[in-house]
Amino acid sequence: MSERNPGIDLDLEWVSKVRVNTQAVLKRAQQVQGRKVAKKEWQAAWHLKAVTCIDLTTLSGDDTPSNVHRLCMKAMQPVRYDLLQSMDMHDKGITTAAVCVYPSRVADAVKSLKAAKSNIPVASVATGFPAGQTPLKTRLEEVRMAVEDGATEIDIVINRTLALTGQWADLYYEIQQFREACGDAHMKTILAVGELGTFTNVYKASLVAMMAGSDFIKTSTGKESVNATYPVAIVMVRAIRDYYLKTGHKVGFKPAGGIRTAQEALVWLVLMKEELGDQWLTPHLFRLGASSLLGDIERQIYHYVTGRYPASHELPMA
Amino acid sequence: MAERSSHSVYDIFKSMEFGPSAPSAALTAASWLELHSGSLGLFIDGKFVLPDNRQTVMVSDPKGEDLCRIVCADDEDIFSCSSSAAAGFQVWKELSDNRRAKVLLRFASSLQRYSQCVCEVCDLCQTPGSAPALIRLAQYYAGWAQLRHTLLPGWSPRGVVAVMSDDILFYSLWLKVLPALAVGNSVIVVPGVKLAPPTLLLAQLLKEAGLPAGVLNVVTGNNSVRVKVAQNHQINHITYSGSKQDGELLVKQIAGHGIPVSLSLSVCSVCPFIIFETADVDSAVDGLMDAAFKNYSEWRWLVCVQESVYDAVVEKLKFRMVGMKCVSVSDECERGRVDAAVRDAEQQGAMLIQSCSPPSSGCVYPPTVVCNTAPSSSLVVSPPLGPVVPLLSFRSAAEAVALGNCRPHGRAASIWTEDLTLALETAKSLCVGSVCVNTPSVTDPSLPQSGRRESGTCTDGGGEGLYQFLRASVAPSRSEPVSLDYTGFGTAASRFLVPEGSDPSSVSRSCSHLVRGKVCKADSGYSREVRAPGGTVVAHCPDGGRKDVRNAVEAALKVQPGWMKKSPATRALALYSLADSLEKRKQDMATSIHKQTGLSIEEAAQEVELSISRLSDWAARCDKQNRHAPLLPHTGSALSAPEAVGVVGVVLPDTKPLLSMVSVLGATVSMGNAIIMVPSERFPLPALDFIPILQASDVPAGVVSVISGGRDQLTQALANHNEIQAIWYWGSAEGRQFLQHCSPLKRLWLLCEEEVDEDGWKFWSKPSFSMQEEMWRECVVWKSVWIPTA
Repeated sequence: MSERNPGIDLDLEWVSKVRVNTQAVLKRAQQVQGRKVAKKEWQAAWHLKAVTCIDLTTLSGDDTPSNVHRLCMKAMQPVRYDLLQSMDMHDKGITTAAVCVYPSRVADAVKSLKAAKSNIPVASVATGFPAGQTPLKTRLEEVRMAVEDGATEIDIVINRTLALTGQWADLYYEIQQFREACGDAHMKTILAVGELGTFTNVYKASLVAMMAGSDFIKTSTGKESVNATYPVAIVMVRAIRDYYLKTGHKVGFKPAGGIRTAQEALVWLVLMKEELGDQWLTPHLFRLGASSLLGDIERQIYHYVTGRYPASHELPMA
Repeated sequence: MAERSSHSVYDIFKSMEFGPSAPSAALTAASWLELHSGSLGLFIDGKFVLPDNRQTVMVSDPKGEDLCRIVCADDEDIFSCSSSAAAGFQVWKELSDNRRAKVLLRFASSLQRYSQCVCEVCDLCQTPGSAPALIRLAQYYAGWAQLRHTLLPGWSPRGVVAVMSDDILFYSLWLKVLPALAVGNSVIVVPGVKLAPPTLLLAQLLKEAGLPAGVLNVVTGNNSVRVKVAQNHQINHITYSGSKQDGELLVKQIAGHGIPVSLSLSVCSVCPFIIFETADVDSAVDGLMDAAFKNYSEWRWLVCVQESVYDAVVEKLKFRMVGMKCVSVSDECERGRVDAAVRDAEQQGAMLIQSCSPPSSGCVYPPTVVCNTAPSSSLVVSPPLGPVVPLLSFRSAAEAVALGNCRPHGRAASIWTEDLTLALETAKSLCVGSVCVNTPSVTDPSLPQSGRRESGTCTDGGGEGLYQFLRASVAPSRSEPVSLDYTGFGTAASRFLVPEGSDPSSVSRSCSHLVRGKVCKADSGYSREVRAPGGTVVAHCPDGGRKDVRNAVEAALKVQPGWMKKSPATRALALYSLADSLEKRKQDMATSIHKQTGLSIEEAAQEVELSISRLSDWAARCDKQNRHAPLLPHTGSALSAPEAVGVVGVVLPDTKPLLSMVSVLGATVSMGNAIIMVPSERFPLPALDFIPILQASDVPAGVVSVISGGRDQLTQALANHNEIQAIWYWGSAEGRQFLQHCSPLKRLWLLCEEEVDEDGWKFWSKPSFSMQEEMWRECVVWKSVWIPTA
């Protein structure tokens, strides 16, 4: 991964000046969705880019070593080898960006990937995912344990209570402690935007998370009623841009929750390209948190290569 | 296997380019043009006419290739077109409101059906034309057609209306055509060359929607066709949308024909784009880029940024503009002008933000922001049409308003702040027709768009947009222009003679006029004789001139803004006090009228009574002006309110010298204007005798000035003062011709002496409700404020 965001001192004046005009953001989101990528090879290339940005995720109560193992195998070979070969992409290291599991399954994932001699990072959600309503002490301990088990990326959730009541300083110190607990593991901070109320709050929480040293900011856990939407993403990437322009540190962005189709994946890439530019179109700075998205992208690529739509049994299951 | 092109997937994977946008085949447009064998004729009397032996003009597509030919109409074509339009008018106005509305509704649905074709033709002709906007426009005015007699009784259509436009504004053209049709006029459209093909297509669609033959004719050709159509005798009203130069020229060329002209001059209008520190700066930057870097845009923006966020805005613009593609400009010559203006600004020390360096040829230019522009730079003063935006900084809201108002244009403004109070205060202070808060612009037919200053003299859109095409009073009859020495008009030195052989027993009294709220002599010191109908000299009145007008305007400008800001109730009370004051001296006034005009003392007393009641009418209307909130298809709030025009100059008629004066005085002053009145040259005494009454009332000094003297001299003086926004004129045909020629951009209301319309309404003594409404509408300009919300 590239340079990390070291964070900066909490700048409450900056936070307090934030203003977001909802209708203007909604309008911008409409515009972004209207921006089209060309067809054929253009679309295929963009789809493959999306694949390399996926954090392939399973976060269920019934996760066991066997389905985590399958997930890891899918992450290593996300698109059928022969399909990649016909596009001359088989030797370009097309894998997903990471696999993402619960802390208890980190060891399983690390084991599977190590056995397959893959260096795909294992990401773990932590800090009382998804609600974050557990004591700080156990949340910190959870992070340390996941790191110990071999997770190199930690997706933490913020304390919404602090954000909603405007206790930005407390939030800042909490995230800073998580960052410390992460050590060398990269930290993605989940804002749970569906529970923050307003766009202004989302912007402020993004700023505070970045000031506290997050390497990524992430929209949602996938467990709230409202997940990653384009307008909220625009607010967050604007905060990323603002932070970059002021400090020179690049922070990544990860939408997650409800992203299912190849078409949506393209819109996400367009949004990043339009708002932050090409330099953000890499797995180092952009991730898509998804589980079923990959299947749809693979179907689209199958169609590009063969000109036919595949039957469900023609593509390997994850 | 799918076919392979030169771009490998891996290359694209690395570069992440968007790829080429699929070129639209424009199949339906091509087949429509093919149907006409690439040669579009004129649309006269409900069908395409392709006369032989006419000059033609080639319209080219965006690639510079020939698209189709259009015919330049000659006199014969214009003649047949105008007689068809006159016949069409008779048919169309007789139809019921419902029938007319149905035609427009059917037109909306056929636009829907052929929207693909309409869009393609617009694209090919390089004119932005959005089908959904046109459909909504047609539906909106179909509604007005349906309600025409219910909501607008007492108004008649003007007759044959000529709608003219330049090359750019397709939507603006139809924003005039459809309301004109909706209220029962027949229309002759004279589109600019590039607008001709889509206009002809829409004319055909209207015909198919059941519009009777002749109600809509389209005449194409170069600029000279415009003038030829305008001079045609069948035309009753002309309206033009386009650039200031062409609009001004058009009015000059038809001066003296006795046709009223209304202008919407939004092309090249510079609109302030104000970003306050309380704004959502990211959204403001997005909005700016969206508005300023469009292909073939017709507006220019002047961006004013509060100093505290100036650097942030510049940085965000730099970041966002990286890699933006070049934008189309109308032609090579325009590109040259854009480039020259940018180089010029650079010379003056401005800093450029440019997405790429400008190509040396071709009709494209890269999006460019010019930071730290001098307000005197040519980019700000006379900006070319291109993707170039000058950026200025300001310190306070007051300075932002000053920067925004310091331009000859007054079309629109966009202000960005999350502070609602600041937004509304700024919107109120800007001298523009429409203000958009936190959005660059809005197109909806329900929002009136009007131009202030050099941006036009009429209101388009909304219910207000209908009145351009309606009249309440009798229109002045058509006339032929006379050869007039425009430079010599009204400059004849006054003849001052030492009275000879006058009767020493009756020494005539000496009157004063009212300038700067003070009773005084003429600045020149001269005076002129006032004679009774019998020929005896009854008084001497001041012989006012340019200097008096200048002094009056100076005073008016000082007091008018404050007067406009007074509460309507205060203005009402002032007018009531004036009516009272007149009541107290009605005997004197009646005597004055009697002596001056020779009317019997009873008739004179009657005129005074009517005048008192007229003043009370206007006083009563002060706080009952109709401001309203238009209903919008989007979420958000809109306000539309009338504002005072500013300083109005009025040349009063000879008839009813007192009544006519208090009528216009009441109307203008009640709406917050300042007024400079020139009383009748023949009968000035009642107006001059009214001055003490005025001074005894609560109307602030300077709001009303009365300058007596030669009518032509004073008309000339009013016309040549640029601060006077409107002139109302009851006088000679030569005067009307002179005014159209010499002040084409002022709001001119040119009328004849006493008018009695078909229903027996008399303009002064017995005006219908709609006549009063018409006068009220001449006193105001419309401002709409739109605040979109989520």
